Order: sequence, then C-alpha cells, then structure tokens
Amino acid sequence: MLRELINKLSDPIISFPMMTFAFYLMLKHYKTVGTKKFAYWTIAILIPVIVWFLADPNFFSIIKTPDNIPIIILLVLVGFFTWFWLYKAALNDTRIEEGLCPIEATPEEREKVWVWPNLVYTELFAIIACTAFLIVWAIIFKAPLEESANPTWAPNPAKAPWYFLGLQEMLVYFDPWMAGVVLPGLIVAGLIAVPYIDTNPKGNGYFTFKERKMAISAFLFGWLVLWVYLIIVGVFLRGPNWTFYGPFEYWDFHKVVASFNINLSEIIWIKMLGTGLPKNLVVREIFGIILSLSYIIVIPPWAAKATKAGRKLIQDLGVTRYYIFMFLVLMMTSLPIKMILRWLFSLKYIVALPEWELNL
Amino acid sequence: MSEKKEPGMAYNMPKLHKVMAILSFIFFVTTVWVFLDDYIRPWKAIQVESLQIKRRHLEQDIKAAQKEIDVKKLGELNISLGKGEEIVASRKKEIDKSEEELKAIRAKMKAQTIKNGIFNGDVSAMNFQYETAMAEHNQKEAALKLEELAKLKEGFSAGKDNLKALQVNEKIVLAKIADLNKEVVTTQKEIKDISTKLNLLELAKKQTDISPIFALRNMPFVDYLDPTIKIQQLVINNVTDDRYFRQVPKVDRCITCHTFIDQPGYEKEKQPFRTHPKLDLMVGMESKHPMKVTGCTSCHGGEGQRVNDFNSVAHMPDGEKQEKEWIKNYGWKEPHHVPSPMLKLSQTEAGCVKCHSDVQLLKGANVLNEGRMAIEKYGCYGCHKIGTWSENRRKPGPSLLKIAGKVDKEWFKSWVWEPRSFNKHSRMPAFFRQSNNSKPEFIRYNMAEVNAIAEYVYDKSKPYVPNEKFRPGNADNGKKIISQVGCLGCHGVEGLEEQSDKVKAYAGPWLTGLGSKVQPDWLVSWLKKPSHYQEDTIMPSMRLSDQEANDIATYLLSLRNKTFEALTFAKFDIKARDELLVDYNSTFDTHDAAVAKVAKLGDREKTLDLGKRSIGKYGCYSCHNLEGFDGYEGIGPNLTKEGSKPITQFGFGLQHQIPPQRDAWITAHLQRPSRWDEGIDKVFKDLNKMPNFYMSEAEAKKITVVLLGQVSDVIPLNGIKRMDSGEALYTEAMKVVGKYNCMGCHQIDGLRGDILRAYSDDINQGPPRLVNEGHRVQTNWMYHFFGNVEPIRPWLLIRMPSFNLSLEEKNKLVAGFQQGAKQGTFEEPEMEVTWQPGERDGAVKLWNSYNCVSCHSIGFTKDVPLAPNLHLASKRLRPSWIKLWLKNPQLILPGTVMPSFFGDDGKAPIDPSIFAGDAEKQINALTKYVIELGKK
Repeated sequence: MLRELINKLSDPIISFPMMTFAFYLMLKHYKTVGTKKFAYWTIAILIPVIVWFLADPNFFSIIKTPDNIPIIILLVLVGFFTWFWLYKAALNDTRIEEGLCPIEATPEEREKVWVWPNLVYTELFAIIACTAFLIVWAIIFKAPLEESANPTWAPNPAKAPWYFLGLQEMLVYFDPWMAGVVLPGLIVAGLIAVPYIDTNPKGNGYFTFKERKMAISAFLFGWLVLWVYLIIVGVFLRGPNWTFYGPFEYWDFHKVVASFNINLSEIIWIKMLGTGLPKNLVVREIFGIILSLSYIIVIPPWAAKATKAGRKLIQDLGVTRYYIFMFLVLMMTSLPIKMILRWLFSLKYIVALPEWELNL
Repeated sequence: MSEKKEPGMAYNMPKLHKVMAILSFIFFVTTVWVFLDDYIRPWKAIQVESLQIKRRHLEQDIKAAQKEIDVKKLGELNISLGKGEEIVASRKKEIDKSEEELKAIRAKMKAQTIKNGIFNGDVSAMNFQYETAMAEHNQKEAALKLEELAKLKEGFSAGKDNLKALQVNEKIVLAKIADLNKEVVTTQKEIKDISTKLNLLELAKKQTDISPIFALRNMPFVDYLDPTIKIQQLVINNVTDDRYFRQVPKVDRCITCHTFIDQPGYEKEKQPFRTHPKLDLMVGMESKHPMKVTGCTSCHGGEGQRVNDFNSVAHMPDGEKQEKEWIKNYGWKEPHHVPSPMLKLSQTEAGCVKCHSDVQLLKGANVLNEGRMAIEKYGCYGCHKIGTWSENRRKPGPSLLKIAGKVDKEWFKSWVWEPRSFNKHSRMPAFFRQSNNSKPEFIRYNMAEVNAIAEYVYDKSKPYVPNEKFRPGNADNGKKIISQVGCLGCHGVEGLEEQSDKVKAYAGPWLTGLGSKVQPDWLVSWLKKPSHYQEDTIMPSMRLSDQEANDIATYLLSLRNKTFEALTFAKFDIKARDELLVDYNSTFDTHDAAVAKVAKLGDREKTLDLGKRSIGKYGCYSCHNLEGFDGYEGIGPNLTKEGSKPITQFGFGLQHQIPPQRDAWITAHLQRPSRWDEGIDKVFKDLNKMPNFYMSEAEAKKITVVLLGQVSDVIPLNGIKRMDSGEALYTEAMKVVGKYNCMGCHQIDGLRGDILRAYSDDINQGPPRLVNEGHRVQTNWMYHFFGNVEPIRPWLLIRMPSFNLSLEEKNKLVAGFQQGAKQGTFEEPEMEVTWQPGERDGAVKLWNSYNCVSCHSIGFTKDVPLAPNLHLASKRLRPSWIKLWLKNPQLILPGTVMPSFFGDDGKAPIDPSIFAGDAEKQINALTKYVIELGKK
C-alpha cells in the first residue's frame, strides 16, 4: 500500500510541486535546516527508509545498475554540500545579525599559510585518493558487454549519459530544437553571464544567505529543482518508451500510458471558438505568439515599474543587467510553466509552427 | 584546529605525512589489484588445466611407445655401438688428420666465397658503367669499360671454378671421415629408427613442462611479449558476421577453452576438453567441415569472439537438468543483449540450413530431416514460405474443384468444423472450437462462416460422375490387399494399426470412416484411376483388377463413423452472416453505409460473398485448389528468416510460463497457436487465425529446429554449399521424389524407405532399396518403366504403382538419378557379345556350377523365382553395374539374398580351374553371359 502510494507520489505531476515546495521550505527555514541536529535527525530517519527502499527488488535492480551508481554518489554529495552551505550560512547570518563579522573574517581565519605544503600536498592527497577510488570502482563495476551496435535497433529505453538526463527529460515537454539547443545554450550563456550580472559584493569569501537571497534562490532553484531533480526522474523513474515508472514498479516493457496532447491553437480555435484552424499560419498561431512575446517583452518592464522587488532590482542592477537577468530567469521558469501547462491542459505547444521548425 | 601549529602552517606536518603514507599504501594496493584483475582470466586456468591433460595423455602415449620398442634388439644394438666405438677409437689419428684437412679446405672455401662475392658486385657495377657508356654513345669510354669488364669476368669465372674444385675435395674428405666412422654411424641410425616415435613424444612432453621459461613468458606485465597461455582464435573468411553496414569475417575464440576439439583421443575428457563427437563430419582435418574453414559459431551460433567467461559466449543449456548443472558449476545466466544465442545441443542441426538450404533431405542431419518431414506432413509450406526449400510444391490438401461429386455438404461442414471428430489422425487442422474462439458469440459467427464456406465451395464445384460401378466384394480380402500391395507406404489404415504405426506414413490421409464419407462408386473409381477425379493427384494407380478394387472398397466402406454420421450442422444463421458482412464492409465505410451496402445484395450473393471472404480469411485456398483463388499467395507470414526474428517481435501474450526464447515460442505456438489470445480482449476479426494441428511436443520441437535454421545471415558464396550441375539435378529429382512420396516405399541412397519398417523380418520382401539407381539401370529402361511398369520381381506382393508423372518429372527423375550416381546417360552397351576363345564355355561352366537358375528361375525352370528375371537384365541393367554387383552384392544392398560368390573383396575366384582362377575374368564372362541371355 505504502509502496503504491509512493509510486503515485513520485509521478512528476505530484513530485515536482512537492519538490518545489520542499525547496521553498528549505530556504525559508534555512536556519533550522542548517544545524547539526537537523542533519543527524535526517540521517537517522533516512537510513531505515533507504534500507526499506532497497529491500524492494524492483527498486534495487534500478539502483544496482552500474550506470546509475554515479547518480547515487551525486545525490549524496549534493545533499551534503547543500546542507553544509546552509549550516555555514546560518552560522554567519546569526553572527551578522548580532553585529559580528562572519567566521571567515575573524583574525585567526585570515592568517596566511604557505602554499607548500598546505595546498599542494593536500591536493596530491586528493589526486591519489580519487585515482584509487576510480580504479576500485572500475574493477568492481565493469562496463557491461552488450550486443554489437545496431543503428536500426536502439535500446529501449535509450538513455543519455546520466549528466544529460535532465535535458532528456526536458524533451518530454519541449520541441527538440528548444530542449536540445536553445535552452542548454541559454544555460551555458547564463552561467557565463553570472559574474557580470551579479554586482552584489556581499558574500565574497564567506558563507551567507541573508545578504544574497535573490541570487542564491534563483541559482539553487535552477540547480536543485530543474537540474538535479530532473536527472533523478530521468534515471530512476523513466523506463522503456520513456514512460514513467514508480520507484517500486516493475519496468514492464508493455506499459502503456495514455497521453494525447493538443496545441494551444487547437484549444482556442476548435474547442473554444468552435471554428476550423485558419489557413494563414501566423493567424493560426497568433494567440500563442502574443502570449510568448508578452511573456518575454511585457513582464520585465511591468515588473520594474509595478512591483517593489522589481523597482529595487532595476535600481541595484541597472537597466541592461536587469533586462538580461530577467530574460534568463524567464527562460528558466518557462520549463516549470510548460510542465504545469502540460499536466493541466495536455498542452503540446504554445506556438506550433512545424512548417517553420518552430515549436514553443 | 585547536592544536598548536607552526607559523605559516595550517596543518601539522607529521600528521600530513601519516595521511600520505596511508594513501600511498591504498594506491599501491589498488595498483596491484588492477594488474591482477587484468591478469587473472578464467580461460587461463582452463588452458593450464588443458596443458596438464595433454601431459597426462603424452605420458600414456610414451608408455605405449616404450612397450612397442624391442628391448632385446635395442640392447644388442647398444652393445654393437660400444664395439663400433672401440674400432673407431683405434683410428683416431687418421680421423684427426682428415678433420684437420677438412678444416683447411673449408677455410679456403670461405675465403673463395668472399672473393667471388666481391667479383660478383664488381662485374655488375662495371656492366652498368659499360652499358651507360654505350647508351650515351661514348665509344671510347665504352671500349675502356669493356676491357675492364672482361678482366673482371675472367677473375669471377676463375674464382667459381676454384670453389667447385674445393667442394669436390670437401666431399672426398667427408666421405673418408664417414668411412672411418661407419661402425658407429650406422648403429646409431638403427637405434634412432627404433626410437623416433618415443623421442618425438618426449620432445612434445617437454613442451608441457612448467619451466622457469614458461613462468617468465606468462608472467604478469611481461606476458605481452610472447606468452604461451593466450587467446587462440580462428578467422573464418568464408562466413561473416553482420556488423551493420559491413560484413566482417567470423572470429571464433572457442578453441581458447575447447582446446582439443579437433584432436582425436580426448573423447572421454570432461568439458571443455572433450573432442568433437562427430569428428569425421565436423571440425576434423579430414572432414567436410574442417575447423579452420568452418569455425564453430558458423553452425553452433553464439558469440564466438567473447572469452570473458562462460556466460558471455551465450552458451544455452539443453533442458532443465543441464541448466541446473550449469548454474551450479559456472553461474550460468540467461544471456541478454545477444541477438542469437548458441543453439541448444538438440537444435544444433538448425545450423546446417544456412549453407545447405535447398537440399531436400540432408544426410547426417537426422533431426533436421525429421523436422522437414513433419513440415511436409502438416503442409506448413502451404501457408508459409520457408526459404527456397518450400518453393514449387504441390498444395498439401486435396483439390476441392469437384468436391460435390465426392462428399455431401453436410459431411463437409461437420468436417471443417472439427476434423478430428471424424478422423483422429486428421492432418487437416482445427480452425474452430479453439481456446480463443469458443465464446458463444464467436461460435455463432464461426458457424455462419462454415456454412458460407460450404455454400461457396459447392457452388463452384464442377460436376463429377464416377466411371466405375461398385459391386460388393470380400472385405477381408480387401484388407489383405491393402496390407500387401503398398497402400501403407502413404496411408495409415484403420484395422491395420500395427503396420501403420510402424510405417508412420503421411503422404496420404489416414483411412477411416470412409463408409460415412464417400459414395461407393466414387471410391472404386478413385481406386482404379485416381486421375479421373483429380488430374493432378499424386495418388497413383496400383493397377488393381476390378475384383481387387471392389474388395478394397468393400473393406474401406465397412469402416463407418456412426457418431459423425449422426451430426447435423447448425442452420445457417442469416443474421450472423449479415453482421459479418457489415463488419467486412465497414473497414473503409461507416457502419451505416456498410449496412446499406450489404442490404443491397441478394440473399445468395451475400452467402457467396461471405463464403469467399471466409475462405480468404482462413486461407483454405493455401492448401486446397479452389476456384476463384488463382494467384493468391499463401496466407501465413514468410518464415524464411524466422530464426533471426528479434525476440522482442514475438508476442508472448499472457503465457508467462513459456520462457522468453525464440525456440520456446515456436514450439509452444506449433502446439497450440490460439494460446497467445488467451486472457486478452480481442474483437472477432483480430483473433489469431493459425489453426491447431494437435501436434505432439516432439514433432513441434523438430519443426522448431528447421525454423531456427532459417536465419537472415548473409553467407559469402565461398562459404555456402554450392551444388554442381549434377547435384542440382539430383536435388530436382529428389523434389519429384518428395512430391510423389517415392521414399514412402523405396529407401533411396540410405534415406527413409518408411514401409521397410513393416518388413523388418525379411527386408527382401519389401520394395527394393535404391542405391546409385542411376548407375544400376539404363536410362532408356528407367524412362519407359515410369510410363509402363513391368514386374521384375514377381514374387513380391508389394507393387510399384503407376504414377501420373509428367514428361518433365520423368526427365528430372532420370537425369537426377543418373547424376546422383555420377553416371553418364549411356554406357556403351555391348550390342553384340563377342567372346574370347573358350570364354563362353567357361561362363557356362560357372553359370552351371553356381546354379544361378535356382533363384533366377524365370524362363529357365518352373520353380518359384526368388530373384529377378535375367532375360530382362540386358535391357535393364548397365554391364558395369552387373560386374560391381557380382563382385560384392552385400556392399550395395546389405542383407540381400544374392550370395557374395567372389568373397568380400571380389577377388576370390569361384572355381580355380576356370580362367586359371582369375576372378575378374570370371566376373566378365558371367556378365557377358547374362547380357547374351537378353539378346536371344
């Protein structure tokens, strides 16, 4: 029963909002989360839960696949470092509130030490430890020997390397042109742009959340919810035919999930207006085009004028930085928006112009 | 960090060194581990074990070789060797002197060789200079060079001469030394002759020593140089693997572990060290499929390149017992990600098909042949194409073009509905009352279909009037005739179960319940002349007399099936008919339009329409000749590449008890095709239509072997068996033989001869076995015999039938049999027998002394003949065959009553007084005599 419930809850339709909400709670109560006590309690609760998960043969068979082991390592590391940052930030923020300087700025922490051996020697340790770890890993989990590659016979599910599974998951919601080229390109461009957009000098050399709420929240949402979470879904919850399978579900090759998606133009012209689709392509897609353009063009100036946060932001960043920042954030949020639209309205494309290879 | 630290230091140095030490140790361990992991491979242990096994065998061989040696003689030789050594020692001075001489000669020879080499180079170089000068028309220079060249050439030829003289001297001295040593040398040679085998074996044994060199060559890290323990492979250029976009020669590394597979003597070792069980046919050097040409996976399938471990090869266990054993011994796992795992042991013959695809029955491939016979029996090829093997065959079922003249419509419907209720041996499969169509609504539709089929078939049936009248005869006599005359070669017969079960005939139907099926006049007419009812029937005329035909008919008509007779088929459900027609018509039309379309048709029109559609749906036309279906392809899918069909394309439905393997699916499908629909919600028209043949698991498994062999592998022309023109003609003949089921009676070149199983008491009472028949009988005779059968062995009760062969078929048979025996069309027949002086008298003497007429009595005495009429021999037999036969008849037909007069080798003369006891002359004379008999 509980397993079936967890299977159901894992469906992105439910788990995505849950993750988003958990993310919000984490940041809101970061001072509670960022304590050793919280960490110990979490570990204490997680261990029996994980053991119970592993006891399930279907879940275990997914976990033990050699391909999936890096993701388990990734999850542990992401969890630990997120907590570690919260812990450090919480300590510093409390000190700052008390009018003290951050721990990193205390005189004993500011003392300078020699590069050799303090840095170089410890780096060598890391190199040796990593190499030994990789060797052991390679010996124990050997690359599987499969049939000779057949271009006409792809494996099912055909999965990208684990670090690209977030992108592959985006293909469920976007045209390949968007999910495969435009959005990844913007991720790279956006990351490059971060130092030029973020002019806030606070938090330089020390952990803090309070002084950089906006930047940290935006980045972590993109990283934890939109990237790591989607990788988890892609690795553990997508089986044959890229169908969703709960963590305890057997990957039945024949599972069929009904899904019939329609375009915005069809919803409006046929379902709501009750007429046929106009012949002219632009007229046909006019609603989607207007919506998409206004999403990108109208929201930033409106926010800059009408909202308090917007006014502060444009003041802090300046006009150019503000508009670039807003563009990037809006592109990022387009993913969850499209996901939600898909779940709620079975929406295929907002703008469907396959004639021009343009589907949004 | 509360510890006290030096200024400028974040860490405590000794502590860092400790960490470094620990990490270094871990790193060292992992490095050693990685080398060991790379070094330790399962196949290495197997090779070391095989080395020990080889050693054990060599030791045994050495012991055997030691026993062979004559110890006494060896002792004597050793003594004479000692004596010889003494004699030779006394000549020591002379020998030393000669050897000194030899040394001096050889030194001179070496010096001369060097000089000659220099001269040789100089001559060539000077020659070049001279020719260059000539080419440049530099006469002066050329004359100069020519002079030098002449000098050099002179020196060169003098040097060569000198060398020859030295060589002669060397020979003389060598001979002298040999002569001085002769007592020792000859004895040594004799000793060596005796112990060569032993020495060689000991040398071989030495190579299996685990010596320091062996250890060094196979040491980790050094073993890339020249290891002795290594992966062994065969590259098979004539058989390729499909690597998508490219055909790559097959690489088989099986011999890495199956080390002795091609070497006799290891038959009793455990696997993988055992010798191939059929070394004379497979893998052996002398066999038709030598290891280096054919490889392993060409036949066995599986992943030949992989040597990681037992599983990676895709070994497949045959049966549960072996599976359990393998799981225990090797940790066997079902292979995944392997398109074609190895064939299970009992299915190995499937591997023959890809190269021997066209041949009808393949000698030595018994399971495969039985599978193909089962396919012939059930007529699978009627609906399914199965490679070129299934092309141009007759339809498996009887023609229905004149069916109304044979059985009545009510019988027809009940038969189609459930053939087994009439004849439990029926090979007509059951389409209805299966597990997938037994819901009441489906039965209603099925009954309407059967009614419509019957209406259509009887509507199209041509009238037929039998040409004989039945007169009741003696049923017991009829039964006796059936059992004697040869009916059982094709038919099983009720009342003769014992014989029928032995013969297992399948070309014709099992005869039962005929009294409930056909009209008496029809039956007599059919027995007397089958082609009167069906022009293209394979049923031959047995040249029955009226009395015989009526007796047989009386017996067959006495067989009745009362319960079947009492059956009446359901009334034609007109509503169901119309619903089905609407269903057919609504494929492209809306339901209402389809209803309107059907409503426009007349009543008869509707019935015939549904009849034709139903025949098309179930594919009745695939097996039976039916009007209106000319040019229709068989209904079933093409099975030519069934053995390569990806496992994911087989629908297992809800039959989870069937393992997800190609062969398991095919076997299960053959036994009950409707099973895949069980538990699945399907509409009427989507039901699986493959009918149920009620075949046994054994038969299904044999057919599975044939189908597994139908793979899509592309074999290069050099790899496949290409028939020469003679073999192609023989194969064509065998197709005709297969069509008329000749082998139901005759055993041809060692294959089949089903009815002979009923003559196990005396094989000579059965139909003659045909061995190299194209050599035995003359071309003309064979051709005329097919058209006009004349009795040769009058004592036989079984008859050669008169087949309705076409001219083309006769030609194929004659030419094919000839080619099968590698025999030319005509052998110069001795038109006039010409006798050597006194030869005829000798022949007569031989003829009388061996009393040939005691068995070959026809035309000589009134005795009951036990052997063929020799007056016909000159017309029928080829003289060269008669000679071969006289020489040793047992060699041709084991168990024949003809005695081997000339011994097992055909060289022992009958009577030493005739022709001075020359067996060959005697045989020639007898042959001439037999030929002369026919000329009179």
